[in-house]
Formats: sequence, C-alpha cells, structure tokens
Amino acid sequence: MRMDSERQVVPEEALIEFRGVDKYFDKPQEGRYQVVGDLNIKVRENEFLVLFGPGQCGKSTILNMIAGFELPSSGAVLCQGKPVEGPGPDRGMVFQNTALFPWLTVMGNVEYGPKVRGVKKEERRKRAQHYIDLVGLQGFENSFPVKLSGGMQQRVGIARAYCNEPLVMLLDEPFGHLDAQTRYLMQDELTRIWQAEKRTVIFVTNNIEEAVYLADRILVLRNCPTGVKAEYEINLPRPRNYTDPEFLRLRREIDAVVDHTL
Amino acid sequence: MGEKQKRVFFGAIGIFVFLCIWYVATALTALGTVMPDPITVFTGFFTAFVEPIGTHSMTMHILISLRRMLVPYIAGGVLGVLVGILMGWYRVADAILMPYIQMIRPIPPIAWIPLSIVWFGFSEGSKYFLIFLACFFTIALTTYNGVHSVDETLVRAARMLGAKDNQLFTSIVLPTTVPYIFSGLQVALGSAWATIVAAEMIRSSEGVGWLIISGQETGDMTQIMVGIVAIALTGLLITSIMRGVESKLCAWTVRGK
Repeated sequence: MRMDSERQVVPEEALIEFRGVDKYFDKPQEGRYQVVGDLNIKVRENEFLVLFGPGQCGKSTILNMIAGFELPSSGAVLCQGKPVEGPGPDRGMVFQNTALFPWLTVMGNVEYGPKVRGVKKEERRKRAQHYIDLVGLQGFENSFPVKLSGGMQQRVGIARAYCNEPLVMLLDEPFGHLDAQTRYLMQDELTRIWQAEKRTVIFVTNNIEEAVYLADRILVLRNCPTGVKAEYEINLPRPRNYTDPEFLRLRREIDAVVDHTL
Repeated sequence: MGEKQKRVFFGAIGIFVFLCIWYVATALTALGTVMPDPITVFTGFFTAFVEPIGTHSMTMHILISLRRMLVPYIAGGVLGVLVGILMGWYRVADAILMPYIQMIRPIPPIAWIPLSIVWFGFSEGSKYFLIFLACFFTIALTTYNGVHSVDETLVRAARMLGAKDNQLFTSIVLPTTVPYIFSGLQVALGSAWATIVAAEMIRSSEGVGWLIISGQETGDMTQIMVGIVAIALTGLLITSIMRGVESKLCAWTVRGK
C-alpha cells in the first residue's frame, strides 16, 4: 500500500528533528512555567522511538509539537527539514483517550482521513479495509465505537492513523487506560502491525516495561522542564520476552537513571 | 417478560388503577358533582369521532390543532437550529443575541396574547406566533449548547487527519449537535402542544383547545374532560413518534438506544 517513491527522505537526514526547543505555558495562577527545555532530538526513518519519563513531565507536549497542536516557544521542530506549522495528515496521532468519532462506524472512522482529503470512495474503502484487517478488526466494520472494548477501540485508533499513510505515527500513551492483560496483548499487536508495515513511530509511555518491550531506541526524559536525560539502543530480537535476563538487565539499568521524585 | 414488555405491562396496570380510583371517587364521593366519571368521558371522547362537537368531528379537531402546532413548530425548529448554530459558532452573534434570548425566554407564551391579537388579529397568525415563541427559544438554546459541547480532542483528531474548517463543521460540529437538537425538539414539541389551549383561547371555533374553552362557556364538564383527554392522547402519540425518529437518527448515542 505504501509508495516509497513518495518519500523524499535522504537516509542520513532526520525525519523529525527538535533543535533547541523550549516550551513555556502561561497559566493564570502560576504564571509562566517551562515544560520543555533545550530539547534536541533526531528521529530516524522507520525506527520505533520511545519517549519514556515520569508522570507529568511534558512528554505529550513533545508529541503535540510534532503533531502541530502546539508550537515551540523557541527553537524549531522540523519535519523533513521543514518547520511544523500546524496539524497535517503526514503526522498521524493515536490518542490516549482514543478520540474516535462516536457517530461513525469503525469503517467511517478509519476512512475519515482519506475521505476529507478527497480520496475516491472505492479507493478509500479498499485502503480502510486493508488497515481494519491489519489491526484484526474484520467483522466489526459496521460497529459503532461505543460497542467495542477499550483494546478494540484503540485498534481502530491505530488503523485510523495508519490509513492516512503518514510519515510518522505519534502514539500518546495509547495503552494507558487499558487493563494489564489487554495492555500486553496490544503491545504484541502493535509490534506485529509495525513489523508488517514499517512506519516511523514515536511512542510516549511512563511504563518502563512497555518502553523496553517495544523500542528500537529509548529516550529517557528528565522531569519538568523536560529534556533528554539518557539514550538507549535496544537491540533485543522481537518478539521480546519480559523475563529474558537481558530484558531485565536493561530494565534495571534504565530504571536507575529515572527521576523518581514525586 | 423482557424489559420492554415489563414497562408496558406495569404502565397499563398503573393506568387501570388510576381509572378505577377515578371511577370509584366520582361514584362514591362529592367529586361526582364536579367531575364526570371515566366511562362518560371516554364514551364522549370516542363518540366525538362520529358525532361532531360544534361543526367538526374529533378527528378534525385534532388535525386542525396539529396543523396549528406544526406550522410554527417547524418554523421555530428551523430558525432555532440556525440561530443556535450561529450563536454557538460566532462569538459576536453570541454576544449580540444571547441577552435577548435570555430575556424573552422566561416570558410565558400566554403573556403575549394581548400583543399577538394587536399584531396579528384573531387570525391563525396570532396562534402561530404564540406557539412559535413556545418552541423557538428552547431549540435555539439546546442547539447552542450542542455546538459548545464539541470535544476539543475530536477537533484535534479531525485536523490531524486532514480536515479543513468547513469539513470540521460538517463532520464534527454538526454530528455532536444533532442529539442536542433532538432533545430540544422533544422538549419544544411538548411545550408547543401545551400552548395550543392558550392559542385557541384567543378565538377559535375548532380544535382541541376550543373543546375546553367552549365546554367552559356552556358549562359542559364532559366536553372539557374530553378535550383534556384528546390533548393528552395526541401529545403522547406525537412525542412517541418523535422519540422513534430520534432513536433512528442518533443510534450511536447511549441516549438513542
């Protein structure tokens, strides 16, 4: 389904780049406070990058700046070398609370992106069906989101973002609201989906196990104002095993550098 | 028995018990001197379908009243939705129109009767005017609330997927607003129908409201009760139809189920 010729990414060039990004928020009571400080990140094409850090440290703000929902206060966020100026279909987001359109069926949600961008009905149906199958939701095309379980809703969210064939997938703690069992299952599923159709993925989580299980590369983030504290390449073969000694060693090593202050 | 049958079953028992109490009370107590018993009332109601009261049969009385209600109801619905969307979408429209709506809405429709007679005479126009007032504001305000309840993350999701401003309006704002519009239409239908008596008090020679007014003038207690029964049953019928339409169109909401 993917047209690689459309990609104009020079291999050594970063797909997404943060150059000295600062982000301040103005709160009426607390005044101005900094959430992101001097952030420098380069994201390679087709890598699975996990942004891992404690609680409310501005991880979502980083994703929102790539998505274009927020703009940096200073510095630059670049997508294929061009500054991000607003939301666009080349950057697909999977939201923590799914943000599915409740009045549309599964099919309606997945084909929404191609539809608003003017892809013809037959073509977009075919494409949407492909991604519905990919996330394992065949048979639920005509169900409304309210009828689906949390895990299935998030599958729709993933298919919807994939169906727009974005350059980069942004996942904002997508499994945060799921129970532990479903969460493990969805981590496996996401790995399978990503291996079936490689995309650049930036995945935000505050769960260390999830980070090590999914990532090619983990950036450990500092607490507010956030920036990169440490970087780990994870070269474990997939599918990974939570009890593998090397997995556990990495987990301990990363855990040791995390800010554990409340 | 399923939930639905249970509801119907207990509802029917409730009505039956009420009719029994009504009957016994009118037969055994002083209530009988000021109120006819249910058998007389319902016999009167059903007889009216074949034997006209005044110049029309019951069917015509109901249809005439329904038309009187539906014309201004539809006008109030269309205008209310448009004004509600306008105020919800544009801050300037909100700032200009909201004070008027908040001021005029609490005025009960019957307070407008003298003015409506001066403005529209004893024609259908004055009746339309009252019923229009009874539904326009409710529908405008619920629509307005609907536009304001649009979920910001859904707007973000739509923008992220490539929707432009006009697509945002048709694919996010409108669907969010539809259930609100329907709850407004539902409430407004009730008040519009309730206002029919007031509207037909202005001067009329037919309609369910007229049945009550003319019953009062001639001291015919049974005819008054027949009019009340006609209003009640027709009201039940139209709100049920409305709810059916709503659950078809809003199948995705929990409310619609």
